[in-house]
Amino acid sequence: MSAIEALYILDEHNKPTLEHVYTGHPPSASTLLPLYLAHPSPRSSLIYLPSTNPPTLLFSVLQDRLLFFSPCSVDTDPLFVLEFIHRVADALEEFLGSPLLASKIENSYDVVAQVLAEMCDGGSINTTEANVLRDVVETSTWMGKLLGGVGLPSSSPALNASSSAFALQKPSLPPTTLASGTAIPWRRSNVRHTSNELYVDIVETLSVTLAPSGRPLSAFANGSIAFTCKVSGVPELLLTLTTPSGRTGVERSMQLPVFHPCVRLARWREQPGTLSFVPPDGRFVLAGYEVDLLGDQPLTTSNKSKVPNLNLPATVSVQTGLGSYGADFEVRLNISTRFVGNSSGLSSSAMSSLSNNLNRPSASRAASGDAKTPVVENLVVSIPIPPTVRNISDLRPSKGEAHWDPGDGALEWRLAAKEVASVGSAGAVLRCTVVGPAGDEDVEDAAAAGMTNLRVDTYDYDESGAYQSSTPDTNTVTNGKIEKDVGRVKQNAVLMPTSATVSFSVKGWLPSGIKVDSLNLDIRKSKGLGEGVRPYKGVKYLTVSRGGVEARC
Amino acid sequence: MESISRISSMLETARDLTLEAARDAGSSRRSTSRQLTVPQIKKLLDSRNERDVLEGLRKVIALQYDPHSAIPTLPLFPFVLKTLSNTTSPTVRPLVSIYLQHHAPLDPDTALLSINSIQKLLSHNSPQTRASALKTLSGIRVPVISQIVSLAIKKACGDMSPIVRKAAALACVKCTRLDPGTQKEVEGYLVTLLGDKQYFVAGAAVMAFMQICPDRLDLVHKHYRSLVRKLVDMDDWGQLATLRLMAVYARKCFPRRTRRVKKADPSVNTASSTKGFYDDNEDEDQTGGPENLDQYEELEVPDPDLTLLLQNALPLLQSRNSAVVVGVACLYLYLSPATHLPHAVGPLIALLRGPQDIQQTALYNIVRVCLVYPMLFISYYRHFLFRSSEAPQIWRLKLELLTLIFPHSAKEVQNLILAELSHFAQGNEKGLVRESVRAIGRCAQNSDAKTAARCLALLMQQIHAVDSVLVAEAVSVIRQLIQRDPSAHERTVIRLAKNLDTLTSPQARASIVWLVGEFASSQAGDDVGIAADVLRILVKGYVDEKEEVRGQIVLLAAKIYLHHQNRGNRERKIEDEKFHKDLPKSLPISTMLSPAEEDGSGSRDSAFGPRNGTSSMAPAPASSDAITLLWTHISLLARYTPSYDLRDRTRLFRALLSVPSSTDLASLLLLAPKPVPQAPSPSESRQTLTLGSASLVVGEEGGVAGLMGYEGIPDWVKEGQEPDARLRDDSETAKAEYGSKAVVPAGKKLDDALAGDAVYGSKLDGKHPVKEKTLDDWLAEDETESEEKTDESEEEDEESEEDEETDESESDDAENGLMK
Repeated sequence: MSAIEALYILDEHNKPTLEHVYTGHPPSASTLLPLYLAHPSPRSSLIYLPSTNPPTLLFSVLQDRLLFFSPCSVDTDPLFVLEFIHRVADALEEFLGSPLLASKIENSYDVVAQVLAEMCDGGSINTTEANVLRDVVETSTWMGKLLGGVGLPSSSPALNASSSAFALQKPSLPPTTLASGTAIPWRRSNVRHTSNELYVDIVETLSVTLAPSGRPLSAFANGSIAFTCKVSGVPELLLTLTTPSGRTGVERSMQLPVFHPCVRLARWREQPGTLSFVPPDGRFVLAGYEVDLLGDQPLTTSNKSKVPNLNLPATVSVQTGLGSYGADFEVRLNISTRFVGNSSGLSSSAMSSLSNNLNRPSASRAASGDAKTPVVENLVVSIPIPPTVRNISDLRPSKGEAHWDPGDGALEWRLAAKEVASVGSAGAVLRCTVVGPAGDEDVEDAAAAGMTNLRVDTYDYDESGAYQSSTPDTNTVTNGKIEKDVGRVKQNAVLMPTSATVSFSVKGWLPSGIKVDSLNLDIRKSKGLGEGVRPYKGVKYLTVSRGGVEARC
Repeated sequence: MESISRISSMLETARDLTLEAARDAGSSRRSTSRQLTVPQIKKLLDSRNERDVLEGLRKVIALQYDPHSAIPTLPLFPFVLKTLSNTTSPTVRPLVSIYLQHHAPLDPDTALLSINSIQKLLSHNSPQTRASALKTLSGIRVPVISQIVSLAIKKACGDMSPIVRKAAALACVKCTRLDPGTQKEVEGYLVTLLGDKQYFVAGAAVMAFMQICPDRLDLVHKHYRSLVRKLVDMDDWGQLATLRLMAVYARKCFPRRTRRVKKADPSVNTASSTKGFYDDNEDEDQTGGPENLDQYEELEVPDPDLTLLLQNALPLLQSRNSAVVVGVACLYLYLSPATHLPHAVGPLIALLRGPQDIQQTALYNIVRVCLVYPMLFISYYRHFLFRSSEAPQIWRLKLELLTLIFPHSAKEVQNLILAELSHFAQGNEKGLVRESVRAIGRCAQNSDAKTAARCLALLMQQIHAVDSVLVAEAVSVIRQLIQRDPSAHERTVIRLAKNLDTLTSPQARASIVWLVGEFASSQAGDDVGIAADVLRILVKGYVDEKEEVRGQIVLLAAKIYLHHQNRGNRERKIEDEKFHKDLPKSLPISTMLSPAEEDGSGSRDSAFGPRNGTSSMAPAPASSDAITLLWTHISLLARYTPSYDLRDRTRLFRALLSVPSSTDLASLLLLAPKPVPQAPSPSESRQTLTLGSASLVVGEEGGVAGLMGYEGIPDWVKEGQEPDARLRDDSETAKAEYGSKAVVPAGKKLDDALAGDAVYGSKLDGKHPVKEKTLDDWLAEDETESEEKTDESEEEDEESEEDEETDESESDDAENGLMK
């Protein structure tokens, strides 16, 4: 069993921002950085650096444009270190607000130092629960003192405050409560809120691969249930999920779930879809799961008519080798009519209604939530272009804007919300012409032509041995012009993209169809909640595809 | 599980975040007005105002952490320490503690000044203060205080508050690091802490134990059962340490008890439902991993204590911490691969949902398990399909997983995998193309003949691609496939040879020429096959070839000539034996040569003749035969090649082949049977490394025995050498004294606390019999399981025998092929 030796944080310009050494004498961040940068990007999360003394294992995580380093001199479970780094990032975000920025760390070294010292003690990981850290770490500024002295109950930190550390006032605790706080290791003791609120956010990330025929090869939705709890005392909650096929469908659709330690596993096993828990204070991830959108369908290549309908908001298909020289390709974007608003102004109105719904104090809002049309937002189609392409001479999107950056080798096609609404059922089309590398075209043509001829007689390879049966009929190629064109097409085939991905986000809709059925606060079992307090409940659904829908061609 | 910061970044609109980031970048980084001078800070620290002191300490900490700060913080040491005694506020303590721990090794004498005031805090009212005081004290890296620290730990071990006891456990590590001489006493404290009723104290104690004395397993016996029961309630890190400890403990303390099973009764058929298990086992035998040292006809009889561990680890598979999931998988892989490992497969796959760094490490672990038990992963093939946007580290591993499960998958899945591989083989990224083609090759070599033929057909199609990388890789993979089973691929060689007319990639051409020389030159005994003809065509273009192809052409010529000589020798022998019988045999090869070429080479040879003729003992008619002419022509061409290497090689071949009657040495050199090339899965070499170790991720780079500090899982202890099982009973009896409180999970405890005392008591009463009964249940389950397994292993017996038979017949075939 090994220890965390040090933690370094580097800012977006790879300048060391923070160095915290836990034990031993690990090499400094400035020593490690050039060695890290020497590895080609994208870099592995674990890099072995034999040239340092002693040889170092460098673990690195890139989050919010900050680079986290943790060097180790002996064999350590990589996941142990990586998980720790992620927890540190989470904790810092909890204390400093999201997003985590280098300047925020620089402005509050005292808080960061306490957090780091508390999370890991001399190399052994101590406390990683954000709630416990909030109990322990002193963040009170003179402002907080003032407010605390006046007796204003401060609301939960990090939620309404995005940037300032001032939001981190915590109610001053009498030391005696700390002993009882150990009963629930993940919940802060003595939580008090004036407005009691509960929010459930279910986020699903799409990961779909489509074959050239449009048939899905794999389709997953990776879901996370984020929970925000701002309730006084020790609440006892019961969250019930359901699917369109009823409660029984939950077990089938929510596969391979993982849970926050607060969830009672026995309860889930008895009754899948029921999450019984005493939540930590503030925002946390309650559960993670995945949904196989293809279900248990067997792979049948023969039966093409029964293509499973995934009902994706947006799909894309690519056709390559168009035009007389095969130098064109066409990307067609189809947006499901279900996800397109009727008017251009609808997207914003849908959003506002959604936020209205969010604040309505009923958990049954879920049912009415998708009565409004969910709208596709932030639609971007990205097409990786081979590095051999010299230029894309012609970019003709029927809607939106397309842009090619030779540096990162990807073609981006963005559609604004207004344009998405007007796409219609025919879909939008982007047509491009590529220009290959400059060179002696005649030679290439000749070579390519030779190759195509060859292909005629050797393509139909069969093991039976009649390899001479298909006689080469190169004689039939009469027209030199055609031959040359075929050669060009062949040549240009190398320049064609092989896939395209779509990124988008949809609010108020989940591909899995999972819904919050009810969220109940058990008054009898809860403690410290005032009489007759009924907390606000809000539910939000979000589907995100970050290049998650990929179409092959 | 996704981290909350990633989720929240998705929930909040991207625009807000970027706006804030932009604003942040725009504003000046550190406002200069806030930079204070050293005297100013000193003044703040000396102030009577608590707020000023705090402000001063903040500045000091900021200076200490700021890597760009020019002000040294060490001179402030006495001023900082003074604040500890000057102010009563608890708020300054954590900051002073951080300062102290950082600067103590730099100025030990000053640091010692603080010891007294910290020791006072060790008996403070608040447990939080006591804990942090102990933490600070043990964090002062000044070796002389090791005895003070040790005493403080001793006192804290008996503290009422679990928070302090946890701090004591963590302080143990620092204490031994400070002064290794204290190890003995610290081990004593650890024993106390390992038996702590509070699960988080016990978890911390295990963490400390693993760092201080992981070999002292004798200390664990007493607490084994209580630790295993507390496993579920510990925090992630305690669980991780306990899992690691228990994997080693179980291997060293529970001998692998096996029971011999009687010979199978053929009338008993295994139920179809047990087919899955049966398949796994079969696989295990084939791959021969380090885990299955035992014979399969022997059946595991796990110790009840081991079963307790395995069962209690089960809920941890749904942990949000990926390290814990891998820890459980590791436990199951090494302790109970047959019965428990299948449970861990799904959760392992679930780790692929995490961020990329976790994903990559998880994939290494999955590959490690998949190498040994590919059957378990078949249903998850969709998770292994990768996308073009993924990083090379990720797709490389996913590609390997696809090829590992390929031989065991259903037909449809195989189709899908092959389609995937050929899609990526036609991609743009060179590395991906190469790996995909190799993967097709691996698919072919691990599956049956029919599938292999399909893979080969797929590869043959790639030969005509424009991409030279793809072509070269495809040909070399084809070459490996042919070498594995040359007799079945005679036609493939011919087909490949036909492509020589058009192929441009020198690597591919060289590979094909070599193949022709190896497998087509000696075809069917006396028949020269196509090799001579191929050579004749190649010779014409010799001048335009790249060097590697030229080398292969020369080699091909040498081989053909050698075969020709061997044939001649054989014929002469026959002639010698029965020389009355005249055999005017016309060589078929001569008909293939066009008259013009025959003339040309003939004339050249006549010019060259006298030189060769002097050393050669060949009979006069041989010099006119086509193959000899070709050989002399080639050797002449090679003689004037710019490359030294090639000229040397040719000289060697010429010397070898100069005496037609004695070709033994040449045959030995040129016609030696080549070893069959193996294309193992890229991670094959990592198969022996422990699951979840960094060595597994780093691989060969870290050295053969893993990285520094790498420790493998020990072998099973031999029967009879294990510690007495009754050692573990001690705590059981001791625990009865203070009740089974420690057994109650946190959740339950909470319920009980809420329900009130009366209910709590009644629940406890009902607890004991239930517990005991469950243990019986486990035993009962064991028996039923073992019965089932007898059947399985019996079946297996037969199957493996069959396998062996087929293997033998195959190897016979191979040998025969070589003989030919």
